[in-house]
Amino acid sequence: MQHSNHRPPFEDPLDLVPWALSKLYTLWLRLTYPFAFMGCGVSVHYTFKANRVMAPRIKLGNSVTAGKDVWLNIIPEATDEVNIVIEDNCHVGPRTWISAKNQIHLERDVRLGSSVLIQDHGHVYENPDLPVSKQPAMEGGRIRIERGCQIGQGVAIVCSRGELVLGQHCVVMPNSVVIRSTPSYCVVGGNPARVLERLDSSQTNPESPSCTIGEVVKANSLDHLPQTSRTLTHHGRAE
Amino acid sequence: MAKSMGTPHTQPPVRRFPMEDPLQLIPRVLTKLYSLWVELMYPFASLGRNVSVHPTCDWRRSRAHRIKLGNSVQIRKDAIINVVAPPEQKGEPIIVVDDNTCVGPQCQMSAKNRIHIERDVLIGNSVLIMDHDCTDEDDTPAICEQGVREGGRIRIGEGSWIGYRAAIVCTSGEIVLGRNCVVGANAVITRSFPPYSVILGNPARVIRQFDPVKNAWVLKSG
Repeated sequence: MQHSNHRPPFEDPLDLVPWALSKLYTLWLRLTYPFAFMGCGVSVHYTFKANRVMAPRIKLGNSVTAGKDVWLNIIPEATDEVNIVIEDNCHVGPRTWISAKNQIHLERDVRLGSSVLIQDHGHVYENPDLPVSKQPAMEGGRIRIERGCQIGQGVAIVCSRGELVLGQHCVVMPNSVVIRSTPSYCVVGGNPARVLERLDSSQTNPESPSCTIGEVVKANSLDHLPQTSRTLTHHGRAE
Repeated sequence: MAKSMGTPHTQPPVRRFPMEDPLQLIPRVLTKLYSLWVELMYPFASLGRNVSVHPTCDWRRSRAHRIKLGNSVQIRKDAIINVVAPPEQKGEPIIVVDDNTCVGPQCQMSAKNRIHIERDVLIGNSVLIMDHDCTDEDDTPAICEQGVREGGRIRIGEGSWIGYRAAIVCTSGEIVLGRNCVVGANAVITRSFPPYSVILGNPARVIRQFDPVKNAWVLKSG
C-alpha cells in the first residue's frame, strides 16, 4: 500500500505556495523541535501542530506524511515515556487529532483518513459538583494500531482503560467508534464498532506482500468474483 | 470508578509555555487582533470580556445581533456559526453561548430558533449542533431549494462535555441535555437526556448515569 504521488510536480503554480510553506515548516520542525526521532522524508503541512516542550515524547518515522490541521497532543499529565510513536510510511490524514496520555503507537504503513480521533484517555466525569471540563484526565490506556491498517474518515478510536490493539491489516469503516481490540485481517465498522467481515487468517500468509487491503475489500464487496486462494468467513450479524 | 465521588478533584497545575515556539506567535497575534476586531465591529446582542475568536471562524456580521457570547468564550479554528434568519429581522438572540465555554475546531452551529450553550461546556472538534432541518415533503424541487423546516430548540446544560464529531440535531420540539452530561465520540443525539448521564452511540443512548439517591454512578442497560 505505498501511496504514489501521481501529480505532475508543478501543474498549478499557485500550489507552490502551500508546498513551499510546508517544506519550510518541516525544516523548521526538524531544526528547532527536539523530537525523540524524526526520520528522513517526513512531510507535514504547515498547519501541523505539536507542543514543542512535549516533542521529546514524539517519534516520527521515515516518510511520515501529515495533512492539514493535524494535531499531535500530549497532555500535561502524561506518563514519562515516548507517548506518540508513528512508524515509517504512515499517512496521517487532514484534521486528525491524536491525543496521548500513555502511549499511542501506529506501526508501519498505517493510513489514517481525514478527521480521525485517536485518544487514549478522557475526562473524569464522576464528580457531579464540577463541570466535566474542570475535572482531570482519567487513567487511560494504551493504543496500538498494527501495520497496514486503514482507518476511514471520521473514525474515533478511544481507549479509556487497558490496552486497545487493532490487528494487522484491519480496515475500519468511516465514522465508526472503536473502543475494543480487534483481531487481524478484518473489516470493522459501526458505532460501537464490531467485526463485519474477516479474512480467514489460516489461508493467508501475513508476510506475503500480495495480500493487500485493497484486495481484501474487493473480495468482500464483489461476491461474484471467484475466490481463489483465500476464503472469507462472514461474521457480520444482521441488525 | 465511583471512588472519586464526593471529594472534589484537585486540578493539576496547567503548565503553559508562552514562548516555546516563536512561529506560534503569528496565529496568537492574529487571534488577538481578530478578537479585538470582532469586539469593535460586530454588533453582538452582548459580548463578554476576554473572548477569543480564531480568524478563520466563519460567521456573518449582519446577523451578529442575534448572537450572545459570555465571558472567556473561546471559538477555535474553522468554526462555523450560522444564524438562519434574515439580517434585518430583530428579536431575541438565537445563539447564546455562556461563560467559559470552548467551541472546538471545525465545529458547526446552525440555528434558526435557539441554541443555548450554558457555562463551562467543553465542545470537542467537528461537533455539529443544528436546530433545524431541510424540508423534504415536496418532491418537485431539489431538497436544497425547499428551504428549512420549522425546527426546534436546543439547550446544553452547564459543565457538559460534547465529544469529538458528535451531532446534535433537533428537527422539532426541544432537546435539553442536562448538566454534566458526557457525549461520546460520533454520537448522534436527537432527543433530550437527563442530567449527569453518559451518552454514546448512534442513535444515542444512556450508558451510565448518576443516581443522586445512591450517590453513585450506575450502569444503564439498553
